[in-house]
This record gives sequence, structure tokens and C-alpha cells, in this order.
Amino acid sequence: MPKPDSPLPEVVYTPDSRLQHPLALLKAMGQDLLASRELAWRLMVRDMSAQYRQSLLGFAWAFVPPIVTAIGLTLANNANVLNVGVTELPYPAYVMFSVSLWQTFTEALTGPLQAITTAKPMLVRINFPREAIILSKLGQIFVNFGIKLILIVGLFIWFKISVPWTIVLAPVALIHLIALGTGIGLILAPIGGLYEDVSKGLTLLIGIWLFFTPVIFPVPQSGLFATLVQLNPVTPLLVSARDLATVGMVPDSTHFGIASLLAIASLLLGWLIYRLSLPFVIERMSA
Amino acid sequence: MDSAIETVDQSLASKEVVLTVDQVSKKFCRSLKRSLMYGIQDIGSEILGLGRHSDTLRKGEFWALQQVSLTLNKGEALGLVGSNGSGKTTLLRIISGLIKPDTGNVKVKGHVAPLIALGAGFNPVLTGRENIYANMSILGLSNREIHQQFDQVVDFAEIGEAIDAPVHSYSSGMAARLGFACAVHAKPNILLIDEVLAVGDVKFRLKCDRKLRELKDQGTSFILVSHNAYTILAICSSAIYLKKGEALFWGDTHTAMQRYEEDLFIQDSQKITGQFFRSEKDLKNSNGLDITGLFFREDGHILETSPFSGQSIDFCIRCRVREAISRVSVRIAIRDLSQEEGDPLLFFNSYDDQVYLDLPAGEHEVRVRMLYLGLGMGTYTMRVFVAQGDPPAYTLDRVDYFRFAVRKQPGQGKAQFYQPHSWSLQSEQ
Repeated sequence: MPKPDSPLPEVVYTPDSRLQHPLALLKAMGQDLLASRELAWRLMVRDMSAQYRQSLLGFAWAFVPPIVTAIGLTLANNANVLNVGVTELPYPAYVMFSVSLWQTFTEALTGPLQAITTAKPMLVRINFPREAIILSKLGQIFVNFGIKLILIVGLFIWFKISVPWTIVLAPVALIHLIALGTGIGLILAPIGGLYEDVSKGLTLLIGIWLFFTPVIFPVPQSGLFATLVQLNPVTPLLVSARDLATVGMVPDSTHFGIASLLAIASLLLGWLIYRLSLPFVIERMSA
Repeated sequence: MDSAIETVDQSLASKEVVLTVDQVSKKFCRSLKRSLMYGIQDIGSEILGLGRHSDTLRKGEFWALQQVSLTLNKGEALGLVGSNGSGKTTLLRIISGLIKPDTGNVKVKGHVAPLIALGAGFNPVLTGRENIYANMSILGLSNREIHQQFDQVVDFAEIGEAIDAPVHSYSSGMAARLGFACAVHAKPNILLIDEVLAVGDVKFRLKCDRKLRELKDQGTSFILVSHNAYTILAICSSAIYLKKGEALFWGDTHTAMQRYEEDLFIQDSQKITGQFFRSEKDLKNSNGLDITGLFFREDGHILETSPFSGQSIDFCIRCRVREAISRVSVRIAIRDLSQEEGDPLLFFNSYDDQVYLDLPAGEHEVRVRMLYLGLGMGTYTMRVFVAQGDPPAYTLDRVDYFRFAVRKQPGQGKAQFYQPHSWSLQSEQ
């Protein structure tokens, strides 16, 4: 609104890299993050209601996939087709919880690119705080996880699994897990906005990544495979989130610390890259 | 809103500059593959904080916008005219901060709302109500502000009961009206309007015009892109004419429109001189009469430029006759440049007018007097036949393709046809 009293904010667009004025860049990033909260909420409400309005099963879609995966894996395990060894929890609960965490990670990983792709008509026309579509996506990821959580709680009650007090710390690990996914997603998103290869490659990567993450099997203890699984930054985050809620301890706090730092760093770097490169992506997207 | 305060404020700040575009250029690449590669390159240098030498062209690139400068004051409307691909939309997108300029800089004061984006972010599954909230959020309004404006938006869009129906059940006109209503009620400081005023029926268009004028009085500045001369003339006090990315003219709206329309309707205006000369044929190819020139005269002087619509002129056919010929008649057919076949726009035949020319050997000039040139502004082709006999069956010479242009005088309305006329007033007392 033209407010007569307040001086109008002035923006200058130049060809120079915005990294040459880091303070102004940081200030703008902070401002936009604050300014995008309401919009992010709106977009989230819009996307979720649109998504579920045009579907018969509605919110059921949030928990059908993990149930199907869990049933399949449990059957395979019982029939000894799949030999996963001994888990601390009854296998159905274990696999359901792990799969939900894994899916949350992959949603976070693919989220930014999806957000850019679906918001393309808006992005190329209106200059709104670009953080909003990412925040909206994060909100959706949390809501989806919340729905899955209902299912997990149900399973825990069914199998009479007691939960330790450390469960209150589990969300920290979960947030770091989402941060890692979103960070990597944000780093890849700009290139993904230009080249289709990224989204195809990402699907492939997720498939392979699952093999090196203790989702359907417990953490392997020895051998080359164990080393690879331990080098995987998702492992400590996912295992910590799971163990804090069930066993009551962080299995490997050093690895958890390193992975958490990596997650935060990638999120910040991703944000910076996303912000700096989006004008160039938009320029080529509509061309 | 207190209108008295608004008015005072506006008069104080009437010269306040809200937008400065300084020597802005933008380059594009036609090859998609290369364009994407350059995109990655640009992203790389942006992230590393390096200069990306944006002022030089890489292979396959061209300037989509070149050294364009403009300023826009508060409450002022600027028209942007130019044919497709002249860089109008690119300029608007740089101003709204969607893409970065390659040279120069843009200073924007206040909030910019692009009307390039009628209903951007409309989700067809959701109701009109939900979409208003989403769309206006994207345009930068807070929930409280949207809430305050909501009824006005619905009112303005004339959606009525349908507000709670999903948008995909709306007619295209309704959706466009809703989009327009959202954008103008977002009350931006600068409104960028790209070819969208053609939405809805005449009644709604008038309403849009009124609303825009109201916003302008309240201090909103505009940049308006339209192919419709009347829209530009009605709203804008100045205009820029863009051609192939260059601002060829920046000044009063009339002149800008004139330049644009001349270029649009008179292609290659430099090449078309309205004159045609050729040397006489050799004996073997000649039928005894050779057309050596076609041109216009005004008051006996040969016109060096294209004639005006409504001008009093002679069309002249110069020819050379080798031996005396009798009963010569001339046929002239004029067509629009784009019109290949069918009835010509104008047709003269001296035979029909019972005019026969008896030509002794030598140079001659046949003149057709046109008291008022009836053709409107545009480019035309003419066919000229000179024939002999009664009926004229034997073609002496012909010119199949004489291209000429007709201009319009400054201040003259653009029309396809010039009707000589005069005005008078008769009053009864």
C-alpha cells in the first residue's frame, strides 16, 4: 500500500554478484525469511488442500505408502527372504518407524527441486520472497511426518513398546535429518531447475542411498559394508532419531555431532546457493 | 483512505522518482543447449563472487535489451510499445527483479506488482476465496490486509456467488477479472501491466480503465505494455518505443505511437521510397512503349518520401515511346501488401473512364490526379499495365510489383481509409 508516512524501501538491481556485498545480502536473506512466513503458510494450506481435495483417499495417502512398505518387508522378513538380523524392536514397528524417517529425509531432499518446478509459473512472473516455497515445502514435510507418527504411535501401543525419556530429544535429530536433506536439495535445486538430469539422477541416488542406510536392516557392525554405512551422514542422524525414541541413547555421539554440523552447514550453504542462483534459473526457465 | 491527505501528499511528492532504469542491457541466447550451459556458468560466477563479464556477448548470444534508460515519477504512467520480441517483457521482468540486468542498474522505490501475472498461483481446484488469499499473499499482502480488501476484490471482480466455487468452473473472463482485481487491490507503488487490459467485456474494460486512473491519482505509477494505441494514449503521458531491444524513442505518447505504427505498418520504410525507375528495354524486348518510372508528385514536384493519407497528389507513369502509338490505355490496381489475390483496394482503368491516349514518339508522363489519397497508413503494392487497342488487348508494358507506403500525418487518427470531409454546425434558435 502506498503509505504516505513511511519512506519507501529502495532496491537496486545490478549485474554484479551479490556476494560482493555480503552484509546487504545477509540482511536481505533475513528480511525475506521473516517476510515469507505468512506466505509460506498460505502456500502450504493451498497446496495441501488442493492435493487432498482432488483425491478420494485424501490424507490416507500420507500413511498408505509406509504401511505397504512395512507389510511387504515384514512378510519378506518372516519368510526369511530378507535376512536382516535382530532388531531391538519388533520388526514391523522397527521398519515402519525407519521407513517413515527415511521417507521424511527423501521428501526433504527432493522438496526444493519440486518446489521450484511446481511454483515455476509464479516464479517467472512475481518477485516474492523465494524462501516461502521452501518453507511451505518444509511445513508439508512436517505435516506428513506428523500423520505417519499417528501410525507409529499405534504400532508402539500394539507391541507394548515402552519409550524412554530421551524421546523428547528425538525431534532434534529429526530436524537435523530434514536439514541435511533440504540442504543437499537446495544445493542441487538450481541446476535441477535447468537440467532434467538432476531429478532423474536424484531418484536413482535415493534408491542406492537406501542400501547404505540402516532403514530396513539394523546397523551392520563389521566389514566394508559397515564402514560405508557409517560414512553415510544420514546413518547417525536417522539412527539417533530412532534410538532416542526407543532405546534411549545416542549410539555414536561423535558421528552424530559431525553429521549434525554437516547438516547445518549444508542447509546454510544451500540457502545461499539457492538464493544467488534463482534469478539465473528463472531467466533460462522461461527462455 | 482519507482522500484529502492523499492529494496533499501527492502534490508535495509529485516529482518523486520511484523508478530509475540506467543503461540496462540484457542478453539472450537462442540455442537452448547453450543457454542452459551459460546459465550454469553464470550461477557459478555468481556463487563464487566473480565478475561474470556480463557486458560482452558469448557465442550465440544477442542483445535482447540494449542500453535502455528511463525514469518514472510517482503517479506517472509510462507506455511501452514495440513489436513482439522487442524486449518489452524482458524490461518489465528486470524492473520487477525477476532476472538480473547484464549491464546498468535499476533502482526501485516501493512495492512493485506485476500484472504480467494475472492469476499467477491460481489453483484450479481451490475456490475463488482460497485463491484470493493465496494470490494476494504472493503479491505481498499480509493476512490482515487481505481480509480488509477481500469484499472489495470480490465486488470488483463481479464474481458474486461463485466465490466459493472452484476456479476451474469459472469462465476465462471471470478468472481474468479475479486476477486483475487481486492485483489492483494489492495497492502497489508501481504497477507493471503487460497486455492484460483486454480481459473481459467492454463494461469491465471501462471499469479497469477507471480503476487505473483512480490508482494513478492516488500516486501509483504505471508501466503499461499494450498493442492497443487507445489504451496507451488514454492512460500514459509518455511512452518508450522499443525496437529490437533498443529504445528508439522516449517522449510524448503520440510521437512514440506514431513511430511504432509507422514501423509496424510500413515495413522497411527506408527501402520503400515510393519511387521506381528503370531504363528502357532494348529493341528486341520492347513492345514499342517502355515504362521507365513510377512516382508521386505534389504540386508538380516529385515526392521524395511516401505520400500522406489524404494528401492531394498525382501518380505519374513515365514512359518512352519509340514510334507513335494510338489508343493507349492504362490500368492500375493497388493491393494491400499482405493481400495476394482477390479484388484490389483501388482500381483505375483509363479505358473504363473512356480516356485514350495518342502518344507520339518520345518521353511522356501520364498523370492520375487524386484529390485526396484515400488509402490509410500502410504498405501497398501496385500493378501497372499499359495496353493498346479497343478493347485494350495488346499489352505494351507492365510493372507487376511497385511497392509504396502511405504515411499518416501527425495528429491524424489511424484508419484504413481516408474520407474527405468537412464539419459544420447548424443551430436553430
